[in-house]
Amino acid sequence: MTAHDDRGAADDLGARARRVSAARRATEARGETFYPGPSRIHLAAFPPKERWDDWVELDSRSWPKRVEHRYMLVPTTCFNCESACGLLAYVDKDDLHVRKFEGNPEHPGSRGRNCAKGPATINQVTDPDRILYPLKRVGARGEGKWQRVSWDEALDALGDRLRTAITEQRQNEIMVHLGRPGEDGYTERVLASWGVDGHNSHTNVCSSGGRTGYQFWMGIDRPSPDHANAKVIYLISSHLETGHYFNPHAQRITEARANGAKVIVLDTRLSNTATQADYWLSPQPGSEAAINLAIARHLITTGRYDREFVRRWFNWVEYLEHCCPDLPVTFESFEAQLVRLYDEFTFDYAASESGIDAATLAEVAEVVAGAGHRFTSHSWRSAAAANLGGWQVSRTLFFLQALLGAVATEGGLFPNAYNKFVPKPIHTPPHPGVWQDLTWPLEYPLAQNELSFLLPHLIKDGRGTLDTYFTRVYNPVWTNPDGLSWMEVLTDEKQVGCFVALTPTWNESAYLADWVLPMGHASERHDTHSYEQYDGQWLGFRQPVLRAARERLGETITDSREINPGEVWEENEFWIELSWRIDPDGSLGIRQYHESKAEPGTKLSVDEYYGWMFENSVPGLPERAAAEGLTPLQFMRRYGAFEIARGIGAVHEQPVPIDELRDLNITDHGRVYTATDKPASPNIVPLGAPDPDAQGRRAVGVRVEGEILRGFPTPSGLLEFWSSTLADWGWPEHALPGYIKSHVHPEAMDADQMVLLSTFRLPTQIHTRSANSKWLDELAHTNPVWVNPVDARRLGVARTGDLLRVETTIGYFVAKAWITEGIRPGVVACSHHMGRWKTAAQDGAVGAMMATVDLVHDGSEWSMHKTASVAPHPSSDPDTQRIWWSDTGVHQNLTFGVHPDPISGMHCWHQAVRVTPARPDDRAGDISVDTAKSREVYLEWLAKTRAAALVSPDGKRRPDWLMRPLKPTPEARLIPAAPGPS
Amino acid sequence: MSAHLADPEVSERTEKTDRIELIRALGAIALTPPPSSDRLCEAVGLASIAPADHTEAFVLLLPPHAAIYLGPDGQLGGEGLDRVEGFWRALGLRPPADADHLGVLLMAYADLLEQTAPFAERVDASAELSNGLRMAPTEARTDPAARAAATVFHEHLWPFAPGYLVALSRLGLPEVSAWADLVLALLRDERHRHPAPPSLPLALREAPGPIEVGIGFDDLLDAVVTPVRIGMVLTQRDLAAGAAEVGLGYRRGERRYALKAMVEQDKPATLSWLARLAHRAAGRDMAHTGAAGGDETERWWTRRATHSADVLDTLAAQAETSREPSEHRLAPHDPAPHDAAR
Repeated sequence: MTAHDDRGAADDLGARARRVSAARRATEARGETFYPGPSRIHLAAFPPKERWDDWVELDSRSWPKRVEHRYMLVPTTCFNCESACGLLAYVDKDDLHVRKFEGNPEHPGSRGRNCAKGPATINQVTDPDRILYPLKRVGARGEGKWQRVSWDEALDALGDRLRTAITEQRQNEIMVHLGRPGEDGYTERVLASWGVDGHNSHTNVCSSGGRTGYQFWMGIDRPSPDHANAKVIYLISSHLETGHYFNPHAQRITEARANGAKVIVLDTRLSNTATQADYWLSPQPGSEAAINLAIARHLITTGRYDREFVRRWFNWVEYLEHCCPDLPVTFESFEAQLVRLYDEFTFDYAASESGIDAATLAEVAEVVAGAGHRFTSHSWRSAAAANLGGWQVSRTLFFLQALLGAVATEGGLFPNAYNKFVPKPIHTPPHPGVWQDLTWPLEYPLAQNELSFLLPHLIKDGRGTLDTYFTRVYNPVWTNPDGLSWMEVLTDEKQVGCFVALTPTWNESAYLADWVLPMGHASERHDTHSYEQYDGQWLGFRQPVLRAARERLGETITDSREINPGEVWEENEFWIELSWRIDPDGSLGIRQYHESKAEPGTKLSVDEYYGWMFENSVPGLPERAAAEGLTPLQFMRRYGAFEIARGIGAVHEQPVPIDELRDLNITDHGRVYTATDKPASPNIVPLGAPDPDAQGRRAVGVRVEGEILRGFPTPSGLLEFWSSTLADWGWPEHALPGYIKSHVHPEAMDADQMVLLSTFRLPTQIHTRSANSKWLDELAHTNPVWVNPVDARRLGVARTGDLLRVETTIGYFVAKAWITEGIRPGVVACSHHMGRWKTAAQDGAVGAMMATVDLVHDGSEWSMHKTASVAPHPSSDPDTQRIWWSDTGVHQNLTFGVHPDPISGMHCWHQAVRVTPARPDDRAGDISVDTAKSREVYLEWLAKTRAAALVSPDGKRRPDWLMRPLKPTPEARLIPAAPGPS
Repeated sequence: MSAHLADPEVSERTEKTDRIELIRALGAIALTPPPSSDRLCEAVGLASIAPADHTEAFVLLLPPHAAIYLGPDGQLGGEGLDRVEGFWRALGLRPPADADHLGVLLMAYADLLEQTAPFAERVDASAELSNGLRMAPTEARTDPAARAAATVFHEHLWPFAPGYLVALSRLGLPEVSAWADLVLALLRDERHRHPAPPSLPLALREAPGPIEVGIGFDDLLDAVVTPVRIGMVLTQRDLAAGAAEVGLGYRRGERRYALKAMVEQDKPATLSWLARLAHRAAGRDMAHTGAAGGDETERWWTRRATHSADVLDTLAAQAETSREPSEHRLAPHDPAPHDAAR
């Protein structure tokens, strides 16, 4: 090659370089994608956003002919778990039907990826068994006969009924019970506008235990682990396969592992997550807190904790003053006390409790100690949701985080409020003036969430009745323990006057409803979401995708029923309309919260609701949208998500701005109160609300080494190693991170009992809504009982598939055995999701997963026997003729008594059971329950409580500072002069 | 004249930015199947690559992963991939997915260049050595990003990309060849912008030894399909062409299987053909390195190919000598045995 050639080549390269550089600038200036499949998210390819209006794919079924399909791609948010991953609906431009769902690459949390549940949304949308029209009960409740009615008829009837209850001051007879919330506070605000404290959630059968442990530490009840940047990831759960934020977290844990991170999994069962662990520890159920404390002791005794962080952020001064008055109030004294406090938690002790050898525990502790600030952990349901005192699992777990100083550090754990953004809505009604005793009974003043699963028992106690009870995407009979007590109450019109099921699909509870009102799936409704999935804040938008598609074509849609199948609606529009029917002339003061701001006196539309929110409450969104020539609402309809901020960092370390520091009161412990008003913030993310001082100044920060920092939303403003709340409200013995022996601790069980682990999920299943997803049904449709071979031999169970009878305190169930070494000896396990059923009388069904049963009720005794399995059948979907399975498992939850933890209120799911080979007449799926025994169990656990009337230090029902979806007025928070049966 | 053209520093920055974009775009074309890459091709001034050609080139015939060309086993992953990923980890960074893919390497290399100090800050960037090479820019010794970029180039791109790109260019897919030729020209240009490395890249320093005359049959087959051992890249298309050239049946299968079938049919002819292929590769290398002043890396490949050619010549001669009279194969145009019997 000559110098001339060289020059020529260089000129050519230079010309091409200028050309490509200019092309990129021009492309991106148009808001288009220049580099498809950005390496940032490691997706090989996805449709670039500028082609979302006209995306061409070949029809695979037409191969080898080349048949093109033209799609409009419209984003929405998955509704099949809490993660709220982004979906892209492929809307066929020929007929405006959704053909499939894939991931939305513009979504900051899920980054274009989905688990099996996301794409299965198409099954739900096209489900041949779905409910398409409003239905009204005909005949007796639960008889299974229905009449199609108009929405107007349903709305008028419900509006009249609710108006009467509200005007007669019977607000506490109205309740809305949420299954999958899938929104950030919309329903709470509807109830607040009605003046009703009727919000009920599923959280006390889900995550209350986990939340409690976090709340008492940091005033924020959810963790936000920065898994992607962690060096050590410690999971007391199954986060890689099914856990909370499964897909967003799993992909980040996978990244961390690729980068050399170690994963430690505590799971009694060999879950998919455990198979991916560097250290799988299979502990005796309930011993997890003891293991955590042994690791904490190791950190303390070896001096491997972040001394500076502990000194700055633990409320050790308060602890020493209250609990160790004889000790000098110095940090050195506290350190010495720490050693004494946890001295008993040796590896040998933890080994004796957990059954894991001490050497392994010591090795794991060393791994944790080596993580420094790059340590993440997570405990959400699992052990925290399964054991008496389970909330101490997450409290002791956060203790490890805090000892390492791995709080709001890169690769550490953030309080979720740092990484979540809930935009302020267009209207904010005041909190109600009543207190709902059926959800917040006096016996459980520290309950993290509503005592939802006790509702039948509280009603049976005579504490109240319900005039109108709504369930929203919720199936209480199936989901809760002791479901047959739910049936007894829900079928009694004196106890529950009107039962309204807002549901997309049939379920065991909807069969008992008076009104069944069809609501949309992920692609048929509006919601906003923001979840803590990395150190950033994003907002996701769920929308009826056909509405957005038609709007792109120039149509105007004002009601989602216009584009949804049948007369399927969405809750937001339903609530607005219902609120207007309750208060048509505005005289009750309700209508004002459902009116347009732009055109006062007219009905609020969802376009205005979200348009206002995106315009006024989401920083950066209006500017970003304007850059593309869009309104904020148009931007969200087009892209489905927006990242508000990234790299939030340690909010607690931020100095409080001088503007907020006026007329201060600084306590001896450094808590700082200010007379200034709280600055308006567009982010209304829930967090603890520390009490004001005696003069009404608000808590604004905490003094740390002379500097006033934002601190944590706890009473002290610090991380509460010692919880004054627990100490003051009757539980001083549990005010520190500690170990409470479970109700299934070996000491609490008879020799012939085993622990039944019943909480685990399957990665391809939705809690109770998988049944309408044929792909998911095919993947998993039964729930055998896991039995270790050692136990199988002892029990005389010869083969996998043999029937077992599992006897609980209130009855028994019969299921097939799965003999596997994937479960610890002495423990059996049976998964969630399965055992769906209907009686022969029910009109509606879920053809692929609901067995037909004979449900017999005699006094308090109930029994259930399967009379028909699922089978191939004709429908609008030819795939229902291809059903090849018949076994749909067992509904084990029916046989569980209620076990509310006396502090957190969490249902403690683990069961002490007796397992025997089935008897000759037993059939798979059989259930037997005595609800009289379930009452005994309820009273037995109620006796463990310390009621507010006995322990409240200030005459209130519950500490004000704790989080609560609705916070009744101060008067309503006081313990009534003549308390009820408690 | 626009403002930036009047300012040499700005001009140099613009030139750098443009060049980085070209590197990135060329990487993205390899990484992105058509039609998504069509716009990139257009931007670079290349014709679009047909989807089938893109798959044929980058998936089926010549997967562009460094591990195949530099790894001791000539396969995906393993030590070859570990070296690339280890580089990122040593920087405290997470390795990108598919880290040793040529497209990823080019894009990552572009990212690193983007982080380097502006060229204008390099005090002696334009100094030339007596042998025509440009002097190592001082900044490259002090700027971590520049050092990292130079390392990616010399350790992970340059050791395999020229041989790979030449092989790609020979596939006979015009649009793919145009891309390969452009990338090769660009890399040659880039080579002059980095300081000369103090030693051979690690993959070549630690490469397994070359074939020798006493090599066993199985080992020979393994070596021939391992570029770093044989010194050249052997594709399925080469094998098919080779079989036709020497009149052997070509059996479909992975390359080692196809080669083995050829050797079993006619060992001397196959080895002789392989030797010719190696000589051609060595000659090509020399042609490329000669006038342009090839560096130690290129010379290493030339030496290895030359050595392989010589050994294969010897092995072919030995095989011919030891051939049984009955083994004498038919000439390509002899009538088939059953025809002769007719």
